[in-house]
Amino acid sequence: MNSIDPPATVSVLDRDQIRDLMTQVLAAQGKDLPSGESADLREIGFRSLDFSELALRVEDEIGRELNFDAPGLRNIRTVGDVLDLLAELQDAT
Amino acid sequence: MTAGDANRVVLPDGTATTWRALLDGEPLPDPVAVLAEDAASALRAVRRHVEDGTELLVAARSRVDETLRAELIEAGFAVPSYGVPAHRAAEPGRLWILTSGSTGRPKRIGHTLDSLTTVREAQPPRTWLCPYSPGTYAWWQLVTLSLAQPGQDLVVTDPATLDDWPRAAAKHGVTAVSGTPTFWRQSLHRHGDELTTVPLSQITLGGEPVDQPVLDLLRATFPDARISWIYASSEAGAAVVVHDGRAGFPASWLDRDSVDRPRLSVVDGELLVASPHRGAGVPELLHTGDRAEVTGDRVLLPGRISGDEINVGGTKVSAGAVREVLLTHPSVRWARVTGRRAPLVGQLVSAEVVTDGTVDTALLQRFAAEHLAESAVPRRIRVLPEIPVKETLKSDV
Repeated sequence: MNSIDPPATVSVLDRDQIRDLMTQVLAAQGKDLPSGESADLREIGFRSLDFSELALRVEDEIGRELNFDAPGLRNIRTVGDVLDLLAELQDAT
Repeated sequence: MTAGDANRVVLPDGTATTWRALLDGEPLPDPVAVLAEDAASALRAVRRHVEDGTELLVAARSRVDETLRAELIEAGFAVPSYGVPAHRAAEPGRLWILTSGSTGRPKRIGHTLDSLTTVREAQPPRTWLCPYSPGTYAWWQLVTLSLAQPGQDLVVTDPATLDDWPRAAAKHGVTAVSGTPTFWRQSLHRHGDELTTVPLSQITLGGEPVDQPVLDLLRATFPDARISWIYASSEAGAAVVVHDGRAGFPASWLDRDSVDRPRLSVVDGELLVASPHRGAGVPELLHTGDRAEVTGDRVLLPGRISGDEINVGGTKVSAGAVREVLLTHPSVRWARVTGRRAPLVGQLVSAEVVTDGTVDTALLQRFAAEHLAESAVPRRIRVLPEIPVKETLKSDV
């Protein structure tokens, strides 16, 4: 985990950038993010707390809150699902 | 005439005077709210109160916003700095304190010189640094001590001179300093070795939860000083005074009946105080709203009950408990823990810290993970360059 200070914000993160943040969330716990997007979140140990932290990291990077009410939550099972949702949320906010 | 009339009072500009000399000028309107622009005018108002029994509220002008000022005027106080006369009969001898407002808008609590004078046994001669904002309970504690006892001198600071207090303290022979834990953390962080040039024999902490790491840091810096912490509030008065260098107070003090001492109890995790020093109109048994935990032979007071709880996916996390863990890291000088709105789990634990620069946030997070449940580990940690201090010397931790 890195300090969130200072907040050098960008308008939108692309999938690779979100993936980098996801890697950091897992690395802080000594876990690796497999390549590709099909890995099952349960198998790699990416849980609700981790997803929440990732969302906050995205918010810190883009300098605004994500609106999770906008798209309605869907079944998030894979790495690709996480990247899809966070990319979509940035567009909707 | 007061027993401390000959005591020295050093003003922020370095001018040395005495309580007796501060009794200059005309009597004040009565009742009066003195919204002080400087420390000297606040002290003069107090000395006039001693002489005349003027009903008095003292507060730094910067602490009184327009709404609060209107409330004071509506309550009948003269406000000389705004040309407002009194418009009701005064209550002789009454003093009013504004609460710090850390739990909402400041409230007025009624006291008297007698109820604010909580140190009555003779003290060794000391020169006290008074870093508190005029009119706060802690400020009154030092002021009444100096008024009541010969040999208790005061060196007063103001916001402009506060940061440089070690130099003023060394210059004016300060031997005792009272401050909030935030004040002490900031001082230790900012001044380091310079502090050891001030030969302190008495260090006092109060106004905020006092944790073991700050006591240990002070002990290491001032090995020969007596280190005391005080649990006090405008409402409860001074209720607990501990000198043994440990956080919390002995559990044997609970439910103990004594003529002159407050009765302390813990009910449903909350500290209850029945104090002879309480403010006027305050219930005899005051629910303090402060969390109390009996741990072995000590009662620890980690923080407020309301506002302390962070709900992480249905798991209740105590912000105070997380803060205490962060503060046990040797590189952490200060910490604030809050809940941050987060998807899926409602809130995540977030922290702001000030460190000595030898630890990064990843290491700090791993440290927290070794000592806390997973849901309590701060997921976001922000490093601040300075300890944020409000005018009350508190920091909303």
